[in-house]
This record gives sequence, structure tokens and C-alpha cells, in this order.
Amino acid sequence: MLEGLRMFGEAIVMFMKPKIIFDVFWATQLGIIVGMLPGLTATMGVALMTTLTFKMASSNAILILICMYIGAIYGGSRSAILLNIPGTPANAATAVDGYPLARQGKAGQAIGIATTGSFLGSIIGMILLAFFTPLIGNFALKFQSYEYFWLAIFGIVISGNLTAPKDPLKGWISGFLGLFVAMIGMEGIHAYIRFSFGSVKMSGGIALIPAMVGAFGFAEIIMVMKYTKLEVIKAKVGRVIPRLSDIKRYWVTIIRSGIIGTFIGAVPGVGEDIAAWVSYDFARNSSKEKEKFGKGSVEGLIAAETGNNACVAGAMIPVLSLAIPGSAPAAVLLAAMFIHGVRPGPLIMMEFPEFVFQVVAMVMLATFAMFVLGLSLVKALVRILLIPRQKLMPVVFVLCVIGSYAIQGRYFDVGVMIFFGILGYLMREMEYPVAPMVLGIILGNILDKNLRRALILSNGSLIPFFTRPISLVIFILTVITICSKMKWFRFLMGKFKQLMAKA
Amino acid sequence: MEEAKMPKADFVSAIVLILFGSAVVYLSAKMPTFREMGANPYSAPGIVPGFIGATIILMSIIMLVRSIIKRGHRLGITGSSIKEFFKSPSTKRMFITIALSLIYGVGLLGKIPYLLSTFLYVLVFVFVFEYRRGESFFKQYKTPMFAFVQAILTSGVIAAIFRYAFLVNLP
Repeated sequence: MLEGLRMFGEAIVMFMKPKIIFDVFWATQLGIIVGMLPGLTATMGVALMTTLTFKMASSNAILILICMYIGAIYGGSRSAILLNIPGTPANAATAVDGYPLARQGKAGQAIGIATTGSFLGSIIGMILLAFFTPLIGNFALKFQSYEYFWLAIFGIVISGNLTAPKDPLKGWISGFLGLFVAMIGMEGIHAYIRFSFGSVKMSGGIALIPAMVGAFGFAEIIMVMKYTKLEVIKAKVGRVIPRLSDIKRYWVTIIRSGIIGTFIGAVPGVGEDIAAWVSYDFARNSSKEKEKFGKGSVEGLIAAETGNNACVAGAMIPVLSLAIPGSAPAAVLLAAMFIHGVRPGPLIMMEFPEFVFQVVAMVMLATFAMFVLGLSLVKALVRILLIPRQKLMPVVFVLCVIGSYAIQGRYFDVGVMIFFGILGYLMREMEYPVAPMVLGIILGNILDKNLRRALILSNGSLIPFFTRPISLVIFILTVITICSKMKWFRFLMGKFKQLMAKA
Repeated sequence: MEEAKMPKADFVSAIVLILFGSAVVYLSAKMPTFREMGANPYSAPGIVPGFIGATIILMSIIMLVRSIIKRGHRLGITGSSIKEFFKSPSTKRMFITIALSLIYGVGLLGKIPYLLSTFLYVLVFVFVFEYRRGESFFKQYKTPMFAFVQAILTSGVIAAIFRYAFLVNLP
């Protein structure tokens, strides 16, 4: 514990340089702008920023990416409050109460509350990140191939469940499509080239960043251009500085939403949007003012914003401890860490423990920058929301193209981005979530290596997959996650609860 | 997509996925096992893609059956429904966005200088979506003018930032 605090302190001292502080502020501000513009998501912002920073020193580059991530998730609340259009999917729950507050002439108060909620959520997430990453990392040292196989499957299943609540089957299919994409190219055991159909370019595999920029960026451009024009409603902003009474009144909601957001973030592939909705739902169910929810509830707004920003730090827990992303932007962050020569995963607490606390320090700096910037320049930044989409989207596409091209300097990656953009658009139209596919692309390699390694170790026997204690627990969790969406399971659970109540 | 049309979309996507999964399983089965080189048969490169392909088939069959129960197999595609689809303004906007982006990303990039291709893309994109057909060109002369200025600024600023600030080699 003390060792952790020492490393955290050293990291803070290391970052206290004018150039780094300047980087923190511009990257967070850019993140806020990216987040507040509908059509630009946190994932895309982090992916594009990865290309821009890949020639920087690793700690600087990762700091900038974290600032962009935290800024973007917060920034989306601005358009959700003022336009009723969530800037990123993470802010959909924010719009439910933020926009009615703005219509009541309390836009400034709503922005102030959203900023404070985001700040406190991020702080709670940061504390849990510092506490749980070493614990999970040490525990994960016990994992072998069998456990990693189930972890990959569990990641896909739970991500599918939560990102496609209406029809989880589509989420699971999307995840398995992602796993397939990861199979393209040269495999790691025999160096055999799979599914390249003779193409030299495909033999290197499909790079994550172009695929993600396409699936989240280009697909979003098509969606934004396809659907009806966004109506900009002019709302009076007014006083932004939050009232302490609001914060004191809802402290239980803040702490609960922060913890929920962090834990949802730590679940592989489940992002800020789900964290915000779950936090919002919990707040509504336990509120004394249920009737205000959806009509401009301060409590609802604070729950959503605390939840989604706490999720950011939460999503970094599995990134650092297991090398598995907790959300889509965290997937890009993970890829960026590999690009910069940092190897997150169970061994990080033995090889490079300082890095974990450097990340905690980065989250703290970005959170403070977000708080300061969030409460200033509000009126000036509102003007950015007035940019018409037909002027903004070609610029975004130009950035998508250069972002895909820059890392390896290959036109092939631009083609990959366009292909995944069109695929992502079709998937969205047919209600297949894109996030499990992206998670699948990352988990594919883990699944491939560990399933084959486990089969070699067990000489083809499947028994160890179900008899090793940790493996069995993850398997049972996977089965429960799948069954939880089935009617017969819910019926049985209902009966079971009734029996328990009688007993 | 409208909720009522979803079973039809599910029916079509399930068939596509079953075919896709079958192709994956077939190609995986054809992959070498390297047994003749003394490799462990469980290290064969086709095992995992085969497992993935089979799972996709299984899940797609479930979706196919479900869509048939919801009468998704009655696609009801008629000449007028296709016409209606292509005539819809949102479909047109979607196709124009994809077409322009394809022309820029696949057609122009790397074949003509980056600055010129980016300038042309932004100019045409803004002009096409802002120009109001049926209104006189002279009444809306500002549209091409602003599109021109935006195209110059976008291509110039992005090229300069990436080239000189971030040291990225441009396409």
C-alpha cells in the first residue's frame, strides 16, 4: 500500500512539468470538443490521437490519450444537455434529465452538476483503479491457458449481453465475428497464414486501429449524414459553478454511481454508456423523488455523469491487469500501450509496477483539467455545436483516413477502415452492436493461443476446462450470463425467489 | 431500421452468417495440421477458426428459426418497395456519403497529391450536401464559395499539422 503511494507520488512529481501540464490541458480540451460534437466519439478521438502521438515518449503519449478519453466522455454531456443529442453514446442517460433542465432555463446549473458529477466519478474510479489493479494483477498470475480461454469467451458473452440488451444473440454473433477477424493473417504457433487468400497485405492481419476508426468513426459519419438534420436549440446557459448543497444532498447517489460505474467499466468490453444507464437506473429506483426522473432531475443527471466518468478509470483496470479492454476507447488505449512498448497484463505488477501508478496519476491530472476546463469557456464552446454536420463530417472523414494511414503508412489500412465503416453501419442498422466485435478482434489472439495451448497440455481432453477451480468459476459465470437472458431461466429464478421468501 | 422490418433483416443476416460460418469451417478444415512434421495435432491452425465458424453457424441457425417464427421469411420485396427505398432522401444521403468517401479513400488517395485529393473531397462533399436543387445558382453563390474556403483550410491545416507538428508521412 505504502509502496503504491510512493510510486503514485513519484509519478505526480514526474508529471509536474510546464510542458506536460500544457499537454494535459490541450488534450483534455480537445477531448471535450471531440466529445461534445455529435458524430465524434471518445473511441475515435483516442484512436486518432494514437496516430498523432506515436512518435512521442510513451508516458507523454499515454497521458495525452487518457486526457482525450476523460475529456471526451465528459464533453458529450454538453451536447446532451444543450441539444438533447448525446455527444458520445456514454451521455445518452445524461440527456434524459440534462435537456429538461436546460429547457427550464437551468442549462448552466445542469452543466455545473454534470461537470462535478464527472469529476467525482473520475476520482472514485481513480481510487478503485489504484486499489484493484494490483490485486487483480496478482490474482491473474494464477491464470493458465484454460482460464484465459474462458475469460475471452466470458468477455464476448457479457459484452454482447450488455451492449445488445434487446437481443444478446446479436451481441454474441458480433463478438464471434470479431474473433474471426483476429484469425486473419499469420498465426503464432506454426506461422501459417490464415484467410489471406493470397494477399500479402492481409497476411499481416487486420490492424485494430483502422478497424476501430472505421467501425466507430466512418459508420457514425454515414449514420449522421443519413438521418434527419440536427435541430440546434438555443438554450440560455447562466450560472455554471455548482452549488455545494446539490452535491451534499446527493452524496450517496454520487458514491453509489461511482462504484457502479467503475465495476461496469472493469467488465470486459462494456463501456460508459451501459455504466451511465445502470447508475441512472439504480438512482431512480432508490430515489425519494422518482417522479422527477426524466423531467429534469438533478439526481438523475448526477448519477449518469458520475457513472460514465467512473467507468473510464474502471475500464483501465482490466487493461492494466489482464491486457483485456474494459471499453471500446480502452481497447484503443491498450493498442496504444503496445505500440509504445508497454506490456500490460498480469506480469505488469512484477515487471513495471510504476506504470500502474503513473496511469493513476494521469487519470488524476486529466480529471482536474476536465473540472477546470469544464467550468470555464462554456459559452464560447457552445458555438462549436452550431457547426452544420455537412461541414464537419468531411473533416472527420479526412481525419479517419489519415488516422488509419499514419501508423503503418499503408493504403491497405485506409481500405480496412472504409470496409469496417460500411460493415459497422450495416450492423448498426440491423441492431448488431459494434463494441463486441472490436473486443473480439482484441481477444481473438488470446483465445487462439490459449485454446490450442490448453488442448496440447491436456492432450485434447476438455476435462481441465471444467475442473480447475478458477476455470470452473468463469465457466459458470459465462453460463449464468447466457442463461440470464432466457425466459425459462428468469421463470425459474422467479420461482426460486418466491420459495426463498416463503422459507 | 423500423422494428417491424427487423425479423426480415434478421432472416437475411442469419442466412448470410450461416453461409459465412460454413465457409470459415470449410476453410479451417482444409488447413494443414503439420502432423507430418511431428507437430501436436491440437496445435493445428484450423482448430480455433473452426470453433469460431461452428459457433457462428449455431447462433445464426437460432436467429434464423426465430426470424421464421416472426414471419421474417416473408420478405415482401416488390418493385415499388425497392423504388421507395432508393427514392428516400435518407438512402440517397447514405449512398452519396459512401460513394464520395470511397472515391476519396480508394480512388484518389495515393494517385494524386494528398492536398489536392483532400481539397476536392471536402469541396464536393460540402457543395453536394448544401446545394439546394430547384433554387437558382446565383441565389446561393455563397455555398460554393464557403465550400471552397473550407476545402482549402481543411486540406492545408490538416496536412500542415500532421506533416510538421506530428511528423506523420502524408499519403
